[in-house]
Amino acid sequence: MKKKNYFMILLAVLVLSIINLTGCSKERVSNKDSYESLEEKGSIVMGLDDTFAPMGFRDDKGELVGFDVDLAEEVFNRIGFEVEFQPIDWSMKETELNSGNIDVIWNGYSITEERKEKVNFTQAYLKNKQIIITLADSSINNKEDLKGKKVAVQNGSSTLEAINKQPEIVATFEGGEPVLFDTNNEAIMDLEAKRVDAVVSDEVLARYYIKQKNPEEYKVLEDNFGEEEYGIGIRKEDKRLIEEINNTLNEMKKDGSYQKVYEKWFGENK
Amino acid sequence: MISYIYTLLPSMADGLIITLEIFFLTLILSIPLGIIVSIGRLSEIKFLFKITEFYIWVMRGTPLMLQIVFIFFGLPIVGIAFDRFTAVLIAFVLNYGAYFGEIFRGGMESIDKGQYEAAKVLGLTSYKTFIRIILPQMFKVVLPSIANEVITLVKDTSLVYVVGIGELLRAGKIASNRDVSLIPLALVGIIYLLLTAIFTEIFNKIEKRYSYYE
Amino acid sequence: MILEVDGLNKSFGRKQVLKDISFTLETGEILAIIGPSGAGKTTMLRCINSLEKCDNGTIKIDGSYLCKDYNNKSIYASSEEMKFIRKKVGLVFQNYNLFPHMSVIENIVEAPINVFGVSKNEAKDKALQLLNTMGLEDKINSYPFELSGGQKQRVAIARACALEPKLMCLDEPTSALDPELREEIAGIIEKLVDNGMSILIITHDMVFAKRIANKIIFMEDGRIVHEGKKAEFFNNYEDDRIRKFIAL
Repeated sequence: MKKKNYFMILLAVLVLSIINLTGCSKERVSNKDSYESLEEKGSIVMGLDDTFAPMGFRDDKGELVGFDVDLAEEVFNRIGFEVEFQPIDWSMKETELNSGNIDVIWNGYSITEERKEKVNFTQAYLKNKQIIITLADSSINNKEDLKGKKVAVQNGSSTLEAINKQPEIVATFEGGEPVLFDTNNEAIMDLEAKRVDAVVSDEVLARYYIKQKNPEEYKVLEDNFGEEEYGIGIRKEDKRLIEEINNTLNEMKKDGSYQKVYEKWFGENK
Repeated sequence: MISYIYTLLPSMADGLIITLEIFFLTLILSIPLGIIVSIGRLSEIKFLFKITEFYIWVMRGTPLMLQIVFIFFGLPIVGIAFDRFTAVLIAFVLNYGAYFGEIFRGGMESIDKGQYEAAKVLGLTSYKTFIRIILPQMFKVVLPSIANEVITLVKDTSLVYVVGIGELLRAGKIASNRDVSLIPLALVGIIYLLLTAIFTEIFNKIEKRYSYYE
Repeated sequence: MILEVDGLNKSFGRKQVLKDISFTLETGEILAIIGPSGAGKTTMLRCINSLEKCDNGTIKIDGSYLCKDYNNKSIYASSEEMKFIRKKVGLVFQNYNLFPHMSVIENIVEAPINVFGVSKNEAKDKALQLLNTMGLEDKINSYPFELSGGQKQRVAIARACALEPKLMCLDEPTSALDPELREEIAGIIEKLVDNGMSILIITHDMVFAKRIANKIIFMEDGRIVHEGKKAEFFNNYEDDRIRKFIAL
């Protein structure tokens, strides 16, 4: 009995200190604008999931490449910052940002209401749709046809958020919910193996995968689960940084350099 | 296919180096820590015993992944910040130190108390008794359990993905997502199997070497 | 006088296992302590070898006090003195407690080298000499698990002898041996006496005690019931308890 008490006290102390810690971390978010200290350092840390083709990933030489990588390099070059790319685990992205390990999240980061509570977004720099992909010979031609079918989605993705906004359609899926996968890659492989009937995914990602595989094997439906946009995630207090990035993006769109990067990565497909 | 695998090798090698760094540093640091922990756990000093008991409870009672997250993301809040690799290493050493500590404790408890008495009667100090009589016998007893932990450690190194460190499995995932292919992951699997085979063989050798007595 | 024990008491919790034990051992004597199991023989031996601490009473070994009774409490020697006193007493455990990970020779040189700083060569020469007298010259590099019970015992004796104790204690030396080997161990013990050692043996082997001892102490229930010369003891038919025990 005595021993039990002792452990209960320790447990309580542990729980209290954790609550305390999270309390502190919230305070931290309301810190000062960090732009000046970034200027002093002359460099900025960009967090990205380096497994995320085609936005930011590694080529076979291990170099970081991708649409976001090229775009970010140009943007920060113009602002006058050197970019340090910091690979992170995607599920920890907001934690990484708010604990100050990285200064921006820039890696196919869709703007959603939920995320807006945690971070601020720059203007959208890329439009994206949540498209439905099936095998080329599939009988599915629109959203209604998904009734009673197995539909795969990447877990924790903005796609999942998007389809959940149409619960009446999700309810018609087999089992009344989508099949969740860790990566889009796995979802598409399961489609190939015919264990699922359709995959809902970011258009940008999906087009890349389909291009890498055999485009003839797949069909992209007209119907979609809504449009969304990619933005750059910034700490709430960093107002100045948002402004600088937005101005630079506008500038690049005007002088055509944005279009150049776009064409390099998505040119043929769109 | 062969030429594709060939293009994968450089990035796999980079990942492998990180995996092995974490593996060896963890091993080198956590085994001595484990010995200290086991001594604390067997200590007659109540305070020391309670502290180690608590430490082992926390380390074995929570997932290693959580410990990594706590050390890297949690501690900076109270002003203790480590870089990614150091944070991961601390988490691994603390975690494996607890497991090794319990293994060593079991090993020490399995040694007949007559061994301590024989050493005492011969006048050996408790330090010499530990180093020369108990430790060598204990290592033989715990070797199979240690081998087990080592194999687990090889695979546990993949948990460092949570702080974005590019070890072997991550290198495989990057290539797999980039090329939309399972081959990189299969290759990673083969590399893990090779590593496991090598360490198993090494431990068989060590066990053989310790089999000169019964 | 090599050993003097006076008024020794020892309890484990509420159970008193040694009750006012007093006896002496003359230099060069072989004393056998006999009695039924649970009589406190082994506990007494462990007190003399400082593996247990007695509650009160005095133990004096070769003129040095291991512990001394003071106001009905045993006060022990300082750890520095203990090291010195302990060297005078050797103990051969009932199950020998050899170090299994060390060869025969390593078992023997361990303490001389690591406790008393004897040089490796010197310790080795001495060990080889001891093994020769024990008839173990072909087992030098064997490991304990490769030895028979009798061989293990001789190694254990050699290990204890390497520190040149003045008093050698043996706990049930014949318990794990075939009866034929009694004579062999008796011979070795006599050799030790010839070399100037005094011997304290705990046994319940009456045949062996009769064969080897000069003096016998009979213990029962934590007390010394009888103490005397061998002949005296074995002709003592007046005491019921002893008669019963001898008849066993």
